[in-house]
Amino acid sequence: MNFKGTLPTLILEALAHEPCHGYRIAQQIKERSRGVLDFKEGTLYPALHKLENEGLVESYEGVEKGRPRRYYRITKSGRKVLSKDRAEWRQLSQAVTVILGEA
Amino acid sequence: MSQLASHLNMNGRNTDKSNLDAWLNQATRHLSRDSAAQVRAEIQEHYQSARDAAISNGETPGQADRTAVAALGDAATANCQYRNVLLTSAEARLLREGQWETRAVCSRTWLKSLLVAMPVAALWASAALFLGGQSELGRTLFVGGLTLLVAFGAPMLPIYTPARARVFRRLKYVLLAVTFALVFGTHALDWSWLLACSVWPLFWIEWTRASIRRKIPQARWPKHLYL
Repeated sequence: MNFKGTLPTLILEALAHEPCHGYRIAQQIKERSRGVLDFKEGTLYPALHKLENEGLVESYEGVEKGRPRRYYRITKSGRKVLSKDRAEWRQLSQAVTVILGEA
Repeated sequence: MSQLASHLNMNGRNTDKSNLDAWLNQATRHLSRDSAAQVRAEIQEHYQSARDAAISNGETPGQADRTAVAALGDAATANCQYRNVLLTSAEARLLREGQWETRAVCSRTWLKSLLVAMPVAALWASAALFLGGQSELGRTLFVGGLTLLVAFGAPMLPIYTPARARVFRRLKYVLLAVTFALVFGTHALDWSWLLACSVWPLFWIEWTRASIRRKIPQARWPKHLYL
């Protein structure tokens, strides 16, 4: 399913509970959407870098199973943006549901 | 037989490794050396996790390699997206050269004094010439003084916030327009081709700087990015 434009919000949501590395973020999005939101994983990192440039997430070096990994965590401003995005999405989805329901 | 299987498997692995390398080569095209290294590291980490997961799901190493590379998607699309968020080689070069210039000026007191004294002297001289009735020469010196002031004086101005930087840049553009108007007067339109040719490098630098400002957090901006 095409979910262009919502990937940054989904990344912030995935990071809202705990810091994760890129692969785990991709898996979380796929698992939590029960496979509906399937995307090309190469596009995840540019979105993560953009969020990092905007100060919404920050990265640090970590180790998993003896392998160095780059972990990402959400910042305070990232949480603010996420709660704003959630409210906007609810409003938008309600509006679309109403329109489609009327059709 | 097992040697042959192992050999075939190895060849398959090499092909897929070269698939990943080909993917990475395309995804990192025109990126700066640091950006490319960063992309390679994160994609290789990702690929390794995806490959391990595919193997634990029962795929053979060769199939797992192919699955992991295919999951990354189109390398050209990724390259386009990376170039929007990471420094390209041209941007990294501009950043390096700008830092060198700023350091060269700001670390030498005599050079700093000279670069401030030159435009100030030119402006004083132009004022004196205007008062003496030599308006043509006075105008030329005034324009020269203003240009030198913007070019050399900027690194020494207290511009450390994006708001001040925006004001400075607007003033700079206005000053450039005024300089052009003063030099060519009523023939400005006739000489617009010269303006287009001479201002093009400036526009390119401004455009590149704007792009760099989007890609680097403000806390890491060097002085010349504000200007």
